[in-house]
Amino acid sequence: MDSVERGQVVLEARGISKRFGEVVANDRIDLQLRAGEIHAVLGENGAGKTTLMRILFGELQPDEGEIFFHGQRVRFHSPRDAIRLGIGMVHQERKLIPAHTVVENIILGHPDTGTVLDLRQAERRIAALCERYGFRLPLQAKVWQLSEGEKQIVEILKALYHGARVLIMDEPTSVLSPPEVERLLQSLRTMASEDLAVIPFITHKLPVVLEHSDRVTILRRGRVVAELETKQATEQSLAAAMVGREVTLHVERIEVPIGEPVLTVDDLWARDDRGVLAVQGVSFEVRAGEILGIAGVAGNGQELLADALAGLRPVERGRIRLAGVDITRASVLQRWKLGLGYIPTERRDVGSIPDFSLVDNVLLNYYSEPTFSRRGVLAASEARALAGQLLREYSVVAAGPEAPARSLSGGNLQKVIVARVLSRRPRLLIAALPTHGLDVGAAEFIHRKLLEAKRAGTGIILISEDLDEVLMLSDRVAAIYEGQFTGIVPAAEASKELIGELMAGLRRGRL
Amino acid sequence: MRTQVAGYRLRIEKRGETRWWHASLASVLAIAVSLFLLGFAFLQAGADPRQVYAEIARYAFASQFGLPQTVNRAVFILLCAFAFIVPLRAGLWNIGLPGQVYAGTLAAFAVAYLFGGKAGINAALPGWLVIPLMILAALVGGGLYGAIAGFLRGRFEVNEIVTTMMMNWIMLWLVAHMIREGGPFMGRTAEGEGFSLPLSVRLPQVLNVPLTAYGAVLLALVLLFFLAKTTLGYQIRVLGHSPAAARYAGIDTLFISTLVFGLGGMLAGLAGYHYFAAVPGVYKIPKSYGDFGDFSFYGLITGLIARSHPLAAIPVALLFGGMASGARFMQGKLQLTFGIDYALLGVLMITMVAFQALSEYRLSIERVPTSVALPLEREESRVESPHH
Repeated sequence: MDSVERGQVVLEARGISKRFGEVVANDRIDLQLRAGEIHAVLGENGAGKTTLMRILFGELQPDEGEIFFHGQRVRFHSPRDAIRLGIGMVHQERKLIPAHTVVENIILGHPDTGTVLDLRQAERRIAALCERYGFRLPLQAKVWQLSEGEKQIVEILKALYHGARVLIMDEPTSVLSPPEVERLLQSLRTMASEDLAVIPFITHKLPVVLEHSDRVTILRRGRVVAELETKQATEQSLAAAMVGREVTLHVERIEVPIGEPVLTVDDLWARDDRGVLAVQGVSFEVRAGEILGIAGVAGNGQELLADALAGLRPVERGRIRLAGVDITRASVLQRWKLGLGYIPTERRDVGSIPDFSLVDNVLLNYYSEPTFSRRGVLAASEARALAGQLLREYSVVAAGPEAPARSLSGGNLQKVIVARVLSRRPRLLIAALPTHGLDVGAAEFIHRKLLEAKRAGTGIILISEDLDEVLMLSDRVAAIYEGQFTGIVPAAEASKELIGELMAGLRRGRL
Repeated sequence: MRTQVAGYRLRIEKRGETRWWHASLASVLAIAVSLFLLGFAFLQAGADPRQVYAEIARYAFASQFGLPQTVNRAVFILLCAFAFIVPLRAGLWNIGLPGQVYAGTLAAFAVAYLFGGKAGINAALPGWLVIPLMILAALVGGGLYGAIAGFLRGRFEVNEIVTTMMMNWIMLWLVAHMIREGGPFMGRTAEGEGFSLPLSVRLPQVLNVPLTAYGAVLLALVLLFFLAKTTLGYQIRVLGHSPAAARYAGIDTLFISTLVFGLGGMLAGLAGYHYFAAVPGVYKIPKSYGDFGDFSFYGLITGLIARSHPLAAIPVALLFGGMASGARFMQGKLQLTFGIDYALLGVLMITMVAFQALSEYRLSIERVPTSVALPLEREESRVESPHH
């Protein structure tokens, strides 16, 4: 430890290039990571952030370029080499064994583990790490019992236990509630400032960068477009560098007269796949021209609620009325025909079929309409015309209506799904994580379309894990925690702090 | 998979896109390779492979006796292939071809039986009525038997592979019960065989080939249209690609899975009708009915090789049909060891399936920048972690 000084370059990448087929993921990237800093790596989807980090972690081999560790040139054949030098990575997807305990997961693969386990000593060491960095975690719990946030902490502890001094974090905040984000960043700050750890931190969330990082490197299309001290950056300048043009980060909320209720939900209960009651007695209504935001950390029942409303899951108890009609037991198709529209969380495999053409994908919500199905035969030219029209209206970048959905980027695919659902002019729209993982430009576009639908009198349920998005668009915000609404707050009274605490179950509000 | 040879990196990687001709080329190559491999087996058996293949081809495709046999077997395989393809398009595996074949066959013979067809081959039955009723019965019998598995799948998520396979056994034993000692369909002269159909209810032929053969080709076109252009076909394809998307779109998955297995069963039932009630020289449920149950699985392989494409299944079915009839003839004529005809079919099948899988990959060859790679190996070992 004593050999390292604050600000000294620990890990350095020079001229890293990586191609996947014809796609250049990294193009001659230089990156310097210094002791004691939280270094944000910012960029849109597909900018090459994760590829770069996986190269630094030895998971991928660069086509060109060199990596230096404390000034020495190194070459990683596998993550094993990187781990030996004290580099750890916390991936976006968890790499844990659900049936094992926290301790067992953490010591797995550690060279000192040996053949006979000394779990007690390991647990003591892990507890000391928790103590030092302020993590609270039940060490004897099985991993499947943990929340997403806790699983992430397990991954961090695992990296630290294996001796990581460079801790690569890939989008660590996406599964956390605002108070959890706060706690995590506090711990990371301790690591950086007291222990001079190096923390490269991938994100596309601007407020996180501004508040918590020391330096920031911005990638766009595989290249470094800017590297600066966070102090010198503003939200606008970061966004512009990331997207490559000036963007409007905040769309104006519009006020339209709120109409009759289009959806009334009374005391709704539903079970998840494991049979657990994951939605527990939720009641609310949505009126025409109103956006009801549902804010919650992933896995608190919001997606299940959306599925239950759309008819994809049976309702255990309670009642759902759509424009006065009881649809509690109605089929999915009946609900669509009564004016329900659903933008599902999963874009691929639920909202679209990757191998199908865009025409066939548009038909997903139209195949049963008389215009598109004449005596049981699909009306090909009508379908093609509709698909072409939607692609134009939504400026979707695609080779044409016959292009397979798989060839579209996430943002363009989501535009197709939103276009398809909104073109039915639904009375009620359920938008589940409509901009999740999209870049700033595409997210802005989707936001505008939601507001257009609102203006046209559609009642909208906006389910999102992004609190900024919910607060920006909603007329009322409901916070969901462990399957229950912990409060429904009008936009005027909804502050980030209040909703954050409701989401984390720390307080209860009016319903 | 990756390996380095003399400064070049060879890598087998999945193709981004496969085009139709990849599959066709793979099939042609597979045939060539399997014939080549089998050549050694024939050499071992003391025969000239070229002569063997020439004999097979001549008998199967150019002889007066062989060609109709090839066609009749190919039609049986083709209809079984359709029976496999339709559920597969919905993502469901129909392993119940033998069961459905015999459900249809028994239903068809039940019609003949009820009209008194067991009386003898000269019994005068109203063919104009009985023949259509037999075909209808074969469709209904096979269809209902198949639909059971689809319903169980759609309603209770019971694995269709298991149910269809188990239902094969039920039906094979039912056939045994019907045609063996004392069974109602037992033939009058020979034990262990079904009764022979009267001349009056045998399906007419055109150009030495029963009408079912023309029907099967027509069905290929109908299926192609059904799957690609109709609303039901669309729903089947959606379910096949993504059950979650199907539910999202409001597709009735119970109905669709019952439907595809019903249709599959109908087609398999028709295959049974074709072979046992329409092929000259058969016209009964034979003693070797179990072998034909096995034979129906060529339909499964055909469906896989044709990638669920009804038209592509036609040449594949003809090839297997021709091999099945030609190889047997060749074995007898050249007096080769017993079983070499089956070996021929087996190797051909395995090679084709392997080549189909391979056609989804490609070999990429890149030059490795050697100057970077080599000296570092030594340098690297000197680097030690400063934390130790």
